[in-house]
Amino acid sequence: MKKLIFILVLCCSSFHAGAAESKLEQIQLETDLPAVERGADALMNACHTCHSLKYITYRDLVKFGMDKKKVSDWRGDQPLDTALTSQLSDETAIQSYGIVPPDLSLIAKAREGGPSYVYSYLIGYYITPEGMTGNHVFPETRMPDMMGMSGATDPVQRAELQAKARDIVSFLAWAADPHEEERHKLGYYVIGYLLVLTAMLFVVKNQIWSRLK
Amino acid sequence: MKSRVIKWIDQRFPFSSFVKHDLTEYPTPRNLSYWWNFGFLAGFVLVLQVATGIFLAMHYKADVTLSFDSIQHIMRDVNFGWLLRYMHSTGASAFFLVIYIHMARTLYYGSYRAPRELMWWTGQGLLLLLMATAFMGYLLPWGQMSFWGATVITNLFRATPFFGDQVVVWLRGDFGVGDATLTRFFALHYLLPFLIIGGVLVHLVALHTVKSSNPSGIDLAAKDNIPFHPYFTIKDFYGLGIFLIVYCIFVFFLPNSLMEPANNIPANPMQTPTHIVPEWYFLPFYAILRSVPNLVGGVVAMGLSVMVFSFMPYLDRSRIPGGAHYRPWYRVMFYLFVVDMLVLGYVGYIPPTDQSIMIGKIATIFYFAQFVLLPFISRKEEQWLIRCGLPPEVETLIASEAKEKNKLPHQRRIGDIK
Repeated sequence: MKKLIFILVLCCSSFHAGAAESKLEQIQLETDLPAVERGADALMNACHTCHSLKYITYRDLVKFGMDKKKVSDWRGDQPLDTALTSQLSDETAIQSYGIVPPDLSLIAKAREGGPSYVYSYLIGYYITPEGMTGNHVFPETRMPDMMGMSGATDPVQRAELQAKARDIVSFLAWAADPHEEERHKLGYYVIGYLLVLTAMLFVVKNQIWSRLK
Repeated sequence: MKSRVIKWIDQRFPFSSFVKHDLTEYPTPRNLSYWWNFGFLAGFVLVLQVATGIFLAMHYKADVTLSFDSIQHIMRDVNFGWLLRYMHSTGASAFFLVIYIHMARTLYYGSYRAPRELMWWTGQGLLLLLMATAFMGYLLPWGQMSFWGATVITNLFRATPFFGDQVVVWLRGDFGVGDATLTRFFALHYLLPFLIIGGVLVHLVALHTVKSSNPSGIDLAAKDNIPFHPYFTIKDFYGLGIFLIVYCIFVFFLPNSLMEPANNIPANPMQTPTHIVPEWYFLPFYAILRSVPNLVGGVVAMGLSVMVFSFMPYLDRSRIPGGAHYRPWYRVMFYLFVVDMLVLGYVGYIPPTDQSIMIGKIATIFYFAQFVLLPFISRKEEQWLIRCGLPPEVETLIASEAKEKNKLPHQRRIGDIK
């Protein structure tokens, strides 16, 4: 028993050590159309030059309910079924940044912490004492501070940038899991149905078993 | 009309006698608790996995350049493809959860004891097949964790004496995990479930020979056995309803909680993830593997940690009925074992530190110590229990069942005859 308590105490202590390391800012994700559309807007301006979203096509954006005019501005003369590939070729990317910028289609699901990670990363830029740009969440990042977070000292401006980052994350979360809303909606029906069915099975079970003496 | 058709069939195939023998007159102990529902649930999940898997295979492409994209195609473009895939990925976890509970029930109530050793051993074989199937299926999405998990596990076969390196290459079909590995894992992932179905049939034939065990651990007299149908069909369906509610909460609301985030990054042989973890159901065994500093020792310990369950019918020397229910020492061991499994699972999950490696070693020693000490503890416990007298309810139960059996010898079940 003593050994058991000892192990449990050790487990708890190491768990706390792990929790202290993470410095992600937890966000409540907005999944409504306006937030996602604002996020798409911000992303097309700030991120899309270098980052692709190869699993998302312009048609997906229209189907989701985004403003058709806006979508046609983004795609120019490309067909509606074109994927959101970046304009930066891999060779140029490697020349300028040393790596190919990751595809963003699944980024909101591909990091520990999900959307909160991406948000914390975007707002995590700061100026180091040496005058360089650093990032709290991902110090090795090669991405420049596109939103200008590190230079923003005014609280109002910072709040604006944070709202923008939040919108971008909303869009990325939708892009990573476009059927989420449909899934939740169907889920309520399925579980509601199962609750009724199970309750009925319980009644029938009791009724059948009551035949036994 | 109906009876004529059935008569026609019966002359050519033992349909009615099968229904009678295995359903409407199949004797089942009436005192089974809900822990006896999990065998049926395992069968259900098996069917669910095969059904969703076949439809997924219609859209999946086993090719390193296409597989990651084809999964995204299923998730985004195929009608209800996301549902199929989340049912299948959640189903894998559900399968292990159900099987582990099924095994825990067997261990708790001592159902592995005579005459049910073959049930326990066929079950052990099914567990190994299930583990192999799950492991191979996990490579198919071709994400980072798929790739590195398969690399780490196939690499363990280096421990094979004399030609370890050749065995690894033979398994992978290449020097590293690659296209050849993916295509063979896909083929085997499709094949093994059908072997599992065959194994389940053997498991069931054995079950219907020895009949179900029950919480009392005593072979019940005829009056305490009731027909499987309708009593246990309805009980199983009610249990299925509860199971499906839990399952659907995960499928519809938390499907990603069971997936490693790193598996949403396409496999990259040039970049090792900082922390490679297997799926939750392999974590305790993975912790045992890591707790032994030497490769061969680790692999042997891991293999043994799964296979050691087979020895239970011989390790448990006690003849006291009812498993842990009437055996206080064994009960303590059972719960400590469950706690030990959870500790090992946690140790397997976190990145290794000096502290966690130390805990892992203690938990590993404790894991095997329980099996090694069981013969002595169970024998001593039996002597102690006989000295102090069995609990009065067991005594009365044994007496009443014996009386019942003497009164009605013609109603004995096959399994009762000693």
